[in-house]
Amino acid sequence: MEIHRYETIWFAASLLLIVGFIGTITYGAVGVGVEMVDDSGGTVDPDNLGSHERFGDTGVHKVNESHYEVNMIAVHPSFIPSEIEIPAGSTVTFYMTASDVTHGFKLVDSNLNTMIIPGQVSEITAEFDEPGEYGFVCHEYCGSLHHEMAGNLSVVPEDEWGGVDS
Amino acid sequence: MDSGTESASADAWDGEIETEIGHDEYDPYGTLTLIGIYFVIIALLWVFMYFVEFLGEGPTVM
Ligand SMILES: [Cu+2]
Repeated sequence: MEIHRYETIWFAASLLLIVGFIGTITYGAVGVGVEMVDDSGGTVDPDNLGSHERFGDTGVHKVNESHYEVNMIAVHPSFIPSEIEIPAGSTVTFYMTASDVTHGFKLVDSNLNTMIIPGQVSEITAEFDEPGEYGFVCHEYCGSLHHEMAGNLSVVPEDEWGGVDS
Repeated sequence: MDSGTESASADAWDGEIETEIGHDEYDPYGTLTLIGIYFVIIALLWVFMYFVEFLGEGPTVM
């Protein structure tokens, strides 16, 4: 079989493109440290969230000076809590689960994006270096008021922060 | 309609060969240029999407 030289060029260029795709994603994972959302959060009984040590106590909790946890329950048509305030310069781990149906969580203007599934804990960690306001929405259709299911995350300067939820 | 199509295809296939060229003399550089432009656009869009829209988007899952 004769292969035209233009086709040889094309084969080489398209292989290079694929190597480039894989290379950038490897850089993102290894160099920048971008992770995927996985099942590391474990499972939970969706019918007994009130007595669960984490989800019986929703809201912002302190792990140490620079690390906070947010325990959140999604239940149609709300996030509990829906107003979150954290200090700038902190690392935040979100633990989210649902008590009714599958929901979603997308923090707008960030790459935080996961499903929230009854019985499963979605665990995602991110760093918030700068003060700012982020909205978040449910992006899995969950019922007649799905479009109202939203909340707000305020990243405030450290000295203005109101403290953890009781 | 039918006869028109028939005569057009008959013209195309029944004509004498004017010039016969070899495999490597076929040189569609216009197509090569066009595909080259598409290729550069795709490569630049990938760089924009990954480095600007994704990695530059702010907080990310760590
Ligand atoms: Cu929802």
